Amino acid sequence: MVQSFLRVLLATLASVLVLSGPVPATPAKEAPWLPDAAAYRLTLFLGNLAPLPWDDIKTAWTEPYRGSEFSVGALAWLDRESEIEPAGLLNAMMREDRQAVFAEATRLIALRIEEELDRALAAEESAMAQQAVRTARELYRAFEDGIAAADPEAARRIGLAWLELNSSTGFSGVLGAGSTSADRKTMEAARTVISSYLAENYLLDSFAPRRALSALPETAVLSGRAFEVPPSLPPGSDIFDQDPLPLLVLNFEEQGIDETDLPLVAFGDMLFDSAQIFGSPARDLGITCSTCHNRSDINQRLFVPGASHQPGAIDVDGAFFNPIFNDRRDDPLDIPSLRGLRFTGPYGRDGRFASLRDFTRNVIVNEFGGDEPTPFMLDALVAYMLEFDFLPNSMLTTDGRLTDAAPEVARRGEEIFNQPFAGLGDRSCASCHVPDANFLDRQAHDIGSVAPAYEGARAGALDTPTLLGTAYTAPYFHDGSLPTLAAVVDWFDETKALGLTEEDRASLTAYLETVGAADEPYEAFDTENTAFRLAFAELTTFASTLDTLLPRRDAEHILLLTDTVAADLSADASTMSNLAARPEVYALAERLAAVGAAVRADDWAAAEASWTAFKSEAAAIEERAF
Amino acid sequence: MPVQLTRRTILTLVGAGAVSLATPLAAQDTALRLAFIPQENPEKLLGDIEAITGWLASEIGVPVEGFVTIDHAAAVEALRSGDADISFMGALPFVLAEAEIGAVPLLSEVYRDAPNYTGRIFVRRDSGIGALADLRGRDIAFADPISESGYLYPLAEFVEAGLVKGPGAAEEFFGRVFFAGGYQQAMQAMAEGLVDAAGASQYADLLLTPQQQAEVTWIAESAPIPSHLVIARPGLDAALRDRFVDAMLRLNEPEHRNKLRYLYGPDGYVRADGAAYDGVRDMARRYGLLE
Repeated sequence: MVQSFLRVLLATLASVLVLSGPVPATPAKEAPWLPDAAAYRLTLFLGNLAPLPWDDIKTAWTEPYRGSEFSVGALAWLDRESEIEPAGLLNAMMREDRQAVFAEATRLIALRIEEELDRALAAEESAMAQQAVRTARELYRAFEDGIAAADPEAARRIGLAWLELNSSTGFSGVLGAGSTSADRKTMEAARTVISSYLAENYLLDSFAPRRALSALPETAVLSGRAFEVPPSLPPGSDIFDQDPLPLLVLNFEEQGIDETDLPLVAFGDMLFDSAQIFGSPARDLGITCSTCHNRSDINQRLFVPGASHQPGAIDVDGAFFNPIFNDRRDDPLDIPSLRGLRFTGPYGRDGRFASLRDFTRNVIVNEFGGDEPTPFMLDALVAYMLEFDFLPNSMLTTDGRLTDAAPEVARRGEEIFNQPFAGLGDRSCASCHVPDANFLDRQAHDIGSVAPAYEGARAGALDTPTLLGTAYTAPYFHDGSLPTLAAVVDWFDETKALGLTEEDRASLTAYLETVGAADEPYEAFDTENTAFRLAFAELTTFASTLDTLLPRRDAEHILLLTDTVAADLSADASTMSNLAARPEVYALAERLAAVGAAVRADDWAAAEASWTAFKSEAAAIEERAF
Repeated sequence: MPVQLTRRTILTLVGAGAVSLATPLAAQDTALRLAFIPQENPEKLLGDIEAITGWLASEIGVPVEGFVTIDHAAAVEALRSGDADISFMGALPFVLAEAEIGAVPLLSEVYRDAPNYTGRIFVRRDSGIGALADLRGRDIAFADPISESGYLYPLAEFVEAGLVKGPGAAEEFFGRVFFAGGYQQAMQAMAEGLVDAAGASQYADLLLTPQQQAEVTWIAESAPIPSHLVIARPGLDAALRDRFVDAMLRLNEPEHRNKLRYLYGPDGYVRADGAAYDGVRDMARRYGLLE
């Protein structure tokens, strides 16, 4: 079959490969998973969580994974595409027997590969044989990272077998032109390589008990040796940036101060985008502060199966990121915005941290399993985050009153907002969301939005959130349970018996939408002012802190910087629209990596030389960096 | 509306030698049938087809149906048999279909401001391979034996360089020649070190991970290859054909650009220039695919 140029373009948008191995903060998009392979990978991932989310595992087999291009789930897909009966798997799931589910699911995928290989060998038409080989190969992907981790030689042997198999299926050409016939002998030999490995490792009657579920081959597990499969996120995960990208408003920048003149802030900016400050798996997956708090705002699309109950929410004290910090409670939180952070303390949804520094350390060490940050790192991160400003909103004065630019309906809402209600204890909305205090009161209140965790619990008080910028941060409440600001108004009206009329609710909603609005909420890109140009400017700014760190011979923080920025610069080049300039960006990244290598070798003169070269080369290619 | 086909149905239909689907149309000038070439996931394509055919029907004023064929060969067969009026098509299958059944080029796809692209020979940067001659006795993966950018044009670079005597003689120069099944598979095989080089579209490295992209480079680039196109069967009512072309060109307008994603995601379309495919015709003759 002729490969379509267009297919490449399409695949470029939604493409490629298992997320695995050490990666910088630029995640790779994945090729779509086949439904059965996706369900298997989700089973492995969810099966390692504690408590084990059995409902999610069942859903993984019955419904399409989140974002799947297939309209059916794995079981329906199997029913349609396969002769294999999943009864054993269903039974194991019903019994909630983790080991049995693992064994049945593993066998199922191995059987599916065998089934497709049988079809390939039996096909009379080369197009059919190729289709079957492609499907078998996509199913094999479910085991691939385990084999690569435990047995690289086998991974290579099997990889070549897939090439052999595909090459020997024959090709139908077009109208007879370019057709070749199948080479059965080669096909069978290649198939034997694949099938014998499956028989020995995945198509087994029983498997050794698994402490951690993974795609490691059985022979590797039985060998007793420890193999590390690089962490990966399961199908349905989404850790990509938002589109459109929120506008970042930094106080110093608005005043015309250059970040390169603020090395502590610039280093903090780098740390905010560095996965190196976290432990595995977050570090290996390229997860950073900005993955969730994208551009100081929120990432509404972030989703990790088993840790997110809906997009934009995450349970940071669950089993996945740092098992020692697992609170064994399924309590994902809607990601809060960090805009105006210096005015929004105390921190945490329940305001449990008075200090931003303490909160930040908790995120690094406890939530994401990182090493203890140095005082310099904490100082830098805090210095940077304190620069986050609210989005300018010309419909609002600095003391929180509506300006002439605000719509009339919002003025009526403003009156309601300031009006005391008996249902609010003779207080008004404005009592807590104080307009001249950035619409918050820096206190925690129990408004009844948290279901008691046990009888008599007094644990429902949450820190009053600001209303500024909230037009772009849906959904609302700590658990993201309310989809719109209108729903928030309805919730208060109903639960607090405010007695609002329909017109009142509309006016109050309009007021909230006006207060939560912004003149420019998103970054504006065009053909040359691209997301990559923005990233390039940021990364070269981060690197500028070397002007401060190199003279101080501060190896620890230099290496943190070079490891982060060199990898990110290189990875971000994949997003360039100016493809011709990509090699220059790769070379620039290598310059920065060379700074790190020289520092590791204690060769400070070489480090200085590479840094000097970096600066001049960065300036030279700046115009082409889009 | 797309014709709902399972993978097996597609195979069965093609295996029977023809794509004959759904109710025959009452009259040529009152409906259009579009053949689509499958992607990795034919099911997604069905959803895309539903979206684009619905829009085309409203623009053209006649019912528009779409269906997925298993490959270019089946699409050409559908044009020949009259089961399809119009098909999306690669440049090489087009020139073959033109010669064999008189297929008519209507539109060429535009990507990155050009209705053409190139094929390249990619290698790993750490491989020490800097020139085509360095690949003597080494292994290479191509996409497919009748892919323009994934075989014919990249291989022609070796012929131009005097390293390969001609089509059919590649095995004498290389160690092993594989057809991996697609750009992505060929590139992945190269990036993972299963083979030393890959011949694929100039954009094929974008199919690798960002980390892999930084690890690969290219050592040769082919002459420009005219991009994929939209072709019609001969005998399709001229007025209907024109209305279809006009509608497709409206996809270039800002308010309709978002629909391009239903059509393999080009940046737009231009009217096809048949002469632009002379190079492909020459290439097909050199490879013995065209008389």
